[in-house]
Amino acid sequence: MTMVKQPSVTATARPAARTRTKRGRADRRPRVLIAVTALFFALLYLPIAVVALFSFNSKKSLTVFGGFSLRWYRAFVHDDVLIASLGTSLRISLVAMAGSVVLGVALALGLVRCRTRLGSLAGLIMLVPLITPEIVTGVASMLLFKGLGVALSTGTVMLAEITFSISYVTVILRSRVAALNPEVEEAAMDLGATRWQAVRLVTLPALLPAVLASAVLIFALVFDDFVLAYFTTGVDPQPLSVRIYSAIRFGVQPTINAVGTLMLAGSIGLIALALFIPRLFGRRGGLDILSGE
Amino acid sequence: MALLRHFARARRRGRDATGTRMWTWFMLPGTLWMTGFLIASLALVAVLAVGTTDDLGNPRFGFDLAGVRALADPAYTEVLARSLGYALLTCAICLLIAYPVAYTIALYGGRYKNALIAAIVVPFFANYLVRMYGWSVVLSDDGPVLRALRAVGLADSGTKILNTGVGVVAGLVYGFVVFMIIPLYAALERLDVSLIEAGRDLYGGPVRTFFHVTLPATRQGAAAGLVLVFLPAMGDFVSAQLMGGPDQIMIGNLIQDKFFQGQNWPLGSALTMLLMLVLLVGMLGYLRRTRKDEAEARR
Repeated sequence: MTMVKQPSVTATARPAARTRTKRGRADRRPRVLIAVTALFFALLYLPIAVVALFSFNSKKSLTVFGGFSLRWYRAFVHDDVLIASLGTSLRISLVAMAGSVVLGVALALGLVRCRTRLGSLAGLIMLVPLITPEIVTGVASMLLFKGLGVALSTGTVMLAEITFSISYVTVILRSRVAALNPEVEEAAMDLGATRWQAVRLVTLPALLPAVLASAVLIFALVFDDFVLAYFTTGVDPQPLSVRIYSAIRFGVQPTINAVGTLMLAGSIGLIALALFIPRLFGRRGGLDILSGE
Repeated sequence: MALLRHFARARRRGRDATGTRMWTWFMLPGTLWMTGFLIASLALVAVLAVGTTDDLGNPRFGFDLAGVRALADPAYTEVLARSLGYALLTCAICLLIAYPVAYTIALYGGRYKNALIAAIVVPFFANYLVRMYGWSVVLSDDGPVLRALRAVGLADSGTKILNTGVGVVAGLVYGFVVFMIIPLYAALERLDVSLIEAGRDLYGGPVRTFFHVTLPATRQGAAAGLVLVFLPAMGDFVSAQLMGGPDQIMIGNLIQDKFFQGQNWPLGSALTMLLMLVLLVGMLGYLRRTRKDEAEARR
């Protein structure tokens, strides 16, 4: 008897209990989690907000806001050294972007399509920059240039940044190449295209959104990069982030707030653009650009 | 028909051969570039670690273990131990922060999920130095964090964050927590929510459900995050410089010092190799772990 009775009791009791606990949890649990998440977002944006706020400060202080002023932006625009550094950074980013996109896209195509032993070796080499901390890459690049007798300059920063950026482009592009149907290339060749024409006229246009997105991302990453630039730069107008580093080390300089705000705004805009580009082409956009998935 | 198929196959085979040749040419420039500039330069670091310097301080190649032997100096082992401690602590704190944040966004984010994750990722890819500088202002003695803590009685007027180990770890966490959030979020996104509901229906409390259902299902994401945080945290020198004092230097600061101020390149190279070694051990541990997980999943 008990064996028959028991299930019927639980069967009636359970739904009520379940709805009660569920509602109870739905009310209680997320509240803590949401509070933690909100605190996280607040702390995440607080430093950025502080830098931006005090870049408009009329006083020199970093803790007391004296009133709105564009004083530090004016100081930045009239600071020839900083403006020269800005130019250097822009040039480095452009060259590194162009170089690493060309090399990285070709490498991604080769890696996906070429199933030889050389291909897997190339795949391993490609991973090295991603698992090497920047300080090691920086030290190694500096030693290489010194060992070859090359004086450190803007050019050496460009070379080092290209080396470091190829892997990013390849990682972003590789999954896109793998997602393409190789039969489309086959079809192009059946219709009389040569292999190279098939790549140029069929494959590359299909990859365009990802290529553009990775180019924008690399530009922003190189422009913001500090460690590699610090180890490989010469004394000719140093990249902006190296200049900022020395300024920060030697105490408070409100001009840096203005430069920093402009840089933050610039790179946030560029990265948002990189995330948004695939959408412009009507594709699933978004964060997979960053994770390479 | 058979003949046609034969021709098609022959043509494909011919194409595959020329294709492989062309794809190899595609691969070559990038691979050679990286071999020349990165693999070769890493080898150079290893060689210089056993090199010497001449009287002017210029590096000379040779075989001299002075640089390597100097690593045993207690002053250096202490810095290495401190760096390891800071990096591991950073990993643990990042895990504690990233789980609730990634969980909340993945499960309760609704249609704002992508926007919320983008709101985390985008500033993290913005300028690292400027962010760290802003963070150091926030954590300074008159900064908003200490003021808030003083207001609620959690800190007194003597409490400091900057120039302490807490400051350095706070800097590392702020710098790299995103690398924990991304893989964890990806794992939680893939997680079947009905598993969690099943755990609750079986009367597991939230805590038990988390430890028995959510955590095992997202362990790989957490492991990936740990590696992604550990690598840059271990090699960082900006956080220790901006947030710490002379007693908080990390191995990255030592390396920087040997190459810029100290001009002892062999010792700097030896330190760099030591750093690489620590990271390699960490990576191998991670790879063994994931391989074991995969083997278990297959079984």
